[in-house]
Amino acid sequence: MEEIQNIDVTKNPEPEVIIESTKQKQSEEVEHHCDEQQKQSQEEEDELRKLLLSDIGELPLSPPSATQLNFVSYFITDFTKPGHDHYIYRHANGLCVIGLAPTHIAFKDQGGITNIDFNVGKSDRSVLKVSGKRKKNAMRSESNTALCKVSTANDSYIVRCCVKGSLLEVNERLIKQPQLLNSSADREGYIAIIMPRPADWTKNKESLITSEEYKDKKQDGLLEPCLL
Amino acid sequence: MSDESKPASGDSAGLLNGHVTHCDPKTRRVNEAARSLHPSAVKDLLSLGVCERCILRLITVATFDSDLATVSSSTLRGWLGSGVEEAASPETSICIVCLGILQFVFSDDKQTLVKMKSDCGSGHAAWITDLVKQQGHEFDSFGLEVSLPSTISENERAVFDEAWLQSEKVSVKDALKVLVLDPLRASLGAKSDSSSFHIRLTYSKASDDAQGVSETTHERKKRKTDVVYADEENGSSCISENPFEKVYEPCILSVHCNQMPIFFSGRYFKYSRNVSQSRWIIDDERMGEASVEEIIGGSILPACLGDSYKFHAAGREDIDVRMLGSGRPFLIEVQNSRKCPSQQSLTEIEEKINNSEKKLVGVKDLKFIGSECWAMMREGEAEKQKQYAALVWISRPLEEEDCNSISSMIELKTPIRVLHRRSPLERERTIHWMKLEKIKGNTHYFLLHLCTQAGTYIKEFVHGDLGRTTPSMGSILGCRAEIIQLDVTDVKMGDS
Repeated sequence: MEEIQNIDVTKNPEPEVIIESTKQKQSEEVEHHCDEQQKQSQEEEDELRKLLLSDIGELPLSPPSATQLNFVSYFITDFTKPGHDHYIYRHANGLCVIGLAPTHIAFKDQGGITNIDFNVGKSDRSVLKVSGKRKKNAMRSESNTALCKVSTANDSYIVRCCVKGSLLEVNERLIKQPQLLNSSADREGYIAIIMPRPADWTKNKESLITSEEYKDKKQDGLLEPCLL
Repeated sequence: MSDESKPASGDSAGLLNGHVTHCDPKTRRVNEAARSLHPSAVKDLLSLGVCERCILRLITVATFDSDLATVSSSTLRGWLGSGVEEAASPETSICIVCLGILQFVFSDDKQTLVKMKSDCGSGHAAWITDLVKQQGHEFDSFGLEVSLPSTISENERAVFDEAWLQSEKVSVKDALKVLVLDPLRASLGAKSDSSSFHIRLTYSKASDDAQGVSETTHERKKRKTDVVYADEENGSSCISENPFEKVYEPCILSVHCNQMPIFFSGRYFKYSRNVSQSRWIIDDERMGEASVEEIIGGSILPACLGDSYKFHAAGREDIDVRMLGSGRPFLIEVQNSRKCPSQQSLTEIEEKINNSEKKLVGVKDLKFIGSECWAMMREGEAEKQKQYAALVWISRPLEEEDCNSISSMIELKTPIRVLHRRSPLERERTIHWMKLEKIKGNTHYFLLHLCTQAGTYIKEFVHGDLGRTTPSMGSILGCRAEIIQLDVTDVKMGDS
């Protein structure tokens, strides 16, 4: 992963305890309890601290993010229309997080995305209530089922599911904070979470491209550096 | 106990006159009970093929009890009345009601016919004792369980009228227990009570097309009921007129011992970031290097000579999270243990695990625990607090103001990494306290110590789970945050 720059690496650091209250509290307690007990628990605490600190290894300047570690990134470009580029982050457990890829044409408009509306197709996706382990009432969607509509100053664009499966959740925080799509479309600005069946995923996967292929493909048209 | 050799069949002629020649009060009672029966009734039953003990248990008024254990069936036959011998069926035929069970005739596992030479409870008990000893259990008390084929009750109904049977008669199961329990107690050297160790005698039919006595309920209702004989005390007794086949196969008896599960408690530590709590196998491949469950359970099981074990813990942690501090309480449940290891051996097991070469897992306070174990486990549940230390990275340098700890409520949605198998819910959890510990020479990393309510997902609290956990470390500090590693430093139980 190119983003980790191992320039500054610190090994076996020593801690500097900042917290004001604990040290004071401890000295008070020594007066109240017998020394034996205190000594033993102090020893245990020291043991614990040693264990905690000894395990700290290299500290890279910019470690891989949780998304990078836990998900595999896929992309699909020009989906149903040119410029409609999406990402699909697939977790090890099979769930897929869907969102707008950095090269989506919505980002090219002046001022970026100003509004999002989940009321598309036959129902408002943001009011779906999925319940239980079996995910009852989840909307079954095809890859081209409409998810939402994002609007900019000039235009509006339909965002589609890209993956066939059950729609578990849409990011309703976007309704009040559409700017999340502009600032962090790959994290807090995700659009939906979909659970595909294993058989459907295997078929779907064929139309997706990997992170590497995506970078190569859009070499010229990168709007902002890929934060993944 | 009266000597069973005394009332030999040779003496029965002497008893025909109704004089009891020996003075044992127990056997005299049995004798009197036997002789109180109507001789023709007895004769008919015997010729039908009902054994002596079945006759006694079903149509005497006196209690069928352990006195009978020492009386052989040939003696019983003698007592049951005059003239019976001519009509008596040959001794070796199997009772049509109890299928030989009360005659102590059965087949063992290899289908070999076993017939007790002494034809009384103690012989049977000796045979059972041998099989029990083979299974290797240590015990000083036992509970006896008997399982019989269902056709026995059908047989009883075929021979006797339903109404007759419903008055208090001794069932085959109870009769067998009565005959065998005292001798078994003696030969095993143990008490009998409803203890945690059970000996189960299972009688099963030798073949499926057996025992033509049984008939469908429909057929039984159509049968004419005849008031044939009168018993002195009770009302009428009733015997059906159906003809019976006299060829029966004895049941197969198997003896099985089972000890109720025993429990051990303790606290475990997990020092490795590559060890799961319980055995974790996906597609035939093990995840992680080992599991806490197998390391601890695998050491205790051989010491107990048990069949299997189960591991229960008060909560759990991920495979890449260490369990330090005071350790996490756990229980090991052992199924069908043959012996209970001493505290000394438990201490040795504990030391062996703690001193092992790889130091993946540690154990403390390993001990035997009784039925209070579940209450102890429940103490670690929802309301209790857990303490953690996390190594956190943030995208901007840490500043002084950041270190003021805040206790806050957080709202978290079911994390994505478990969403596939859990309900999508929004949960409120409390962070009781947090403190940030700087790391010398590095402004982007710090150690986060926190104490939270049970059920708080710490990893998601740090990185925010794509904004689904609010607030998160990132939102509190106004930047991006990632968790590098996590350790559990305390699992508080009760007031500890």
